[in-house]
Amino acid sequence: MSLVNRLIGFFNRHQTVVLLAVPLIVAGIVINAFGSRLLVDIYTYFCVSLALVYSLQVFMGNSGILAWTQVGFMGIGAYATGILVTPPGVKEMGVPNMYPALVDLSVPILPAIVIAALVTGLVAVIIGYPLMRLNDFASVITLFAMLVVMHTIMTQWDNVTNGPRTFFGLPQWTTWGIALTTALAMLGLAYWFRESGLGLRLRATRDDRHAAAAIGIDMVFTRYLGFVLSAMMAGLVGGVWSLYITSFSPKAFYMGEMFVLLSMLVIGGSGGVSGATIGAVMVTLSRELLRQLESIINNAHVLSFEVFGLTELVMAVLMVVVLVWRPAGIIGGQELRLPRLGKKKGPAEANGAAS
Amino acid sequence: MIDLEFVINTLSLGSLYALLALGLVLVYGILRLVNFAYGEYVMIAGYAIFLSATYLNAPWYLTLVLGVFAAIVVSYLTEIIAFRPVRTKSVDALIVTSFAVSIFLQNVVLIAVSPRAKPVPLPSFFSETVEVAGGTVPVRNLLVIVVTAVLLIALSLLMKKTVVGMAMRAAADKFTTTRLMGVPANVVISTAFVLSGLLAGVAAIFWVSRSASVDPLTGTGPLLIAFICVVMGGMHSTIGAVVGGYVYGLVFNVLSLTLPASMVSYRDAFMFGLVVLFLLFRPAGIIKGGYTEERVG
Amino acid sequence: MAMLTVENLEASYGAVRALNGISLDVAEGELVALLGINGVGKSTTLKSIMGVLRPTKGTITFQDKDITGRRPESIVKRGISLVPEGRDIFGTLTVEENLRLGAYVGYKRDRYRADLEEMFTLFPILKERLHQAGGLLSGGEQQMLAIARALMGHPRLLMLDEPSLGLSPTMTDQIFELIVGLKERGSTILLVEQNAERALDIVDRAYLLANGEIEHAGTPDEIKRQVNVASVYFGDETDGDSCEVEQ
Repeated sequence: MSLVNRLIGFFNRHQTVVLLAVPLIVAGIVINAFGSRLLVDIYTYFCVSLALVYSLQVFMGNSGILAWTQVGFMGIGAYATGILVTPPGVKEMGVPNMYPALVDLSVPILPAIVIAALVTGLVAVIIGYPLMRLNDFASVITLFAMLVVMHTIMTQWDNVTNGPRTFFGLPQWTTWGIALTTALAMLGLAYWFRESGLGLRLRATRDDRHAAAAIGIDMVFTRYLGFVLSAMMAGLVGGVWSLYITSFSPKAFYMGEMFVLLSMLVIGGSGGVSGATIGAVMVTLSRELLRQLESIINNAHVLSFEVFGLTELVMAVLMVVVLVWRPAGIIGGQELRLPRLGKKKGPAEANGAAS
Repeated sequence: MIDLEFVINTLSLGSLYALLALGLVLVYGILRLVNFAYGEYVMIAGYAIFLSATYLNAPWYLTLVLGVFAAIVVSYLTEIIAFRPVRTKSVDALIVTSFAVSIFLQNVVLIAVSPRAKPVPLPSFFSETVEVAGGTVPVRNLLVIVVTAVLLIALSLLMKKTVVGMAMRAAADKFTTTRLMGVPANVVISTAFVLSGLLAGVAAIFWVSRSASVDPLTGTGPLLIAFICVVMGGMHSTIGAVVGGYVYGLVFNVLSLTLPASMVSYRDAFMFGLVVLFLLFRPAGIIKGGYTEERVG
Repeated sequence: MAMLTVENLEASYGAVRALNGISLDVAEGELVALLGINGVGKSTTLKSIMGVLRPTKGTITFQDKDITGRRPESIVKRGISLVPEGRDIFGTLTVEENLRLGAYVGYKRDRYRADLEEMFTLFPILKERLHQAGGLLSGGEQQMLAIARALMGHPRLLMLDEPSLGLSPTMTDQIFELIVGLKERGSTILLVEQNAERALDIVDRAYLLANGEIEHAGTPDEIKRQVNVASVYFGDETDGDSCEVEQ
């Protein structure tokens, strides 16, 4: 087969990635060329959210387990990056109680992000194994409790995170291009994982645990690997995000954010990267519109009180509506493919077997 | 020499926790739903007490009744409006739905009342103290022990002696077969939610009385406690949930006494850590409920 | 005049079509069997009648009323009782509580007491174990409890899903004797069984299912003439084409 044919075949099999990536790239270029500053900001933030949703999809989409810890891992990545990248002078000022060893750290940005991802992965390695052994319901609760623990540690550990106060001083390094690149990289990784042997085994455990065990899949270990990979991706995204937003506090890694992240995956469909993408687009659009509405209402003083929280409220209702309408998400478990043009092959022809 | 003050305080904390755990497990047992909105039932009850005291000038006993009533109503409504439509389509989506309901309720209160904490006036005798064997104990601690005992007995009688209770136990055992007996599924589930709301409402009275205030995020604490107690107690067992409540109360008080001052803020983290360790060795919980709960690995 | 009529019933589990146009009927007082090997659609048929499964096509009529797709609770109220596959008794409830739930529809205190006594005559073992948890009973005892529980509701039509499954030969004898006894008392029974030989010995009529469709129907003699019953066990009667192995 010629090289061109091989390439065509490859893209045909993996057309989902292309179908998702191309509009993303085009949108980025167009928005950057013609859009307002605000629009570019929205797009950049959207790309980072997208990257985070992909990281969640890797574990939650394929295993079916609600990974509450995802924003916690993002936080670990963000704080790690912040500690590594922020100049020591700024750290001394901003986080008065920080351990001297951490204050002295100064690492270039790219290695810092990688280290942050590894640190996050390490945390996942440590806490993940016992969690993967629990049955579905205990694991939902325990992962939730784990998120609370992470949050507690972030708000209490003054010497590292500055406690509940803002951690600031990071350089703004993440541009729309970097955010887009990160999103594309996570897209590729999530897609690859889903289609790989490991991903397939993990999906098998989601669909039928006993059948999976019967064919020799080590459910605990498979989940564990997915969990760690997903955490590392979240840590990396946390690093990229922290270099965009330049200051943050533990609030950014708790229930509110988890709900937004979860809604993206659930509304779109957790089964694959297509669902994750669609969900992220829908939720981002809705939230932006609602935010505009909120400020219009507040500024016009139509009501005697201010409506902060309208966005979250409507999103919650939207989520339930989508779940009633399409419990598996808008796209469900399938991946986007171009509709087949031309005559459909019959089963005999497709199999090539003589009857 | 056992410190009677410590015992009473632990019993009172354990009673509160047991109420919370029981309310959660009642719904879980039948629907296999971990209801993330459960904490919000407690929160809404707190707000009902605040609103009726402040805006209706209601006497204290009425505010407490209204508080419990509000929790029951909200619990029932969330079942009808959110959970029932979703559960006919997909059982998996229920947990996420409950999370959405939780966020919804938090933001409703945030918008309708205020993001700031509000004071919850409680009857003065709640904070009075009583002399007990050389120590002092707040009246409300004694009260919660008594109220919990009464509720537990009442609920046991309901479950054991009435047809409704029998139907609920059957539904927790085998839901579809219960419908084959002609028992209306929706009635059983609604009853469970009503009872869940009742327990949340009563627990709210004592939860809120500790800080005398309520804010939109008040529900997170009770939710977590209910979660942990139910998981410890063995998720299918109502008795286990209650036992889990008392055990957790004990752990909390012991840790409060023994942890060095600098670590007290990490107490929650410690407790969850202990629970995770506990689960490692005994994933089925303290009390096996007569059902096989699968352990994955 | 048929009590139960099923016409062109189709049902699916997700994308998998389980029933492909089933038609059958049961007249009052009859003992009718639904036979076939494992996985052929017998339980699915009962579940569709019972409302546990929603059919995609077809109609189910009971005593001249259309009950297609109705909820199980209302179908029970109309007088159909199902003894599910695997017994499905409430293991954490006592024997008595199981029976009490069986009498849920149309419960009357006095009639309940009388019914209990009747169950004790039919199934003496239940009286012995009245206050024991259902989960402690043996397989055969659980089967009896499941049948007694269904009878407590005074059903007009009793459906039994594989009552002999997992039981010893002696126990199976007892159960089949019991079913004959019930029929002689006037009950109308639809029986699903894998044990075709034994079932054909006791029933008035039978339907043989294969691949979600009715392949044969008639009296036991007619069926035995049409079909090599033993081969029903081994399944090669159900598929006309034999599989050729590719060289």
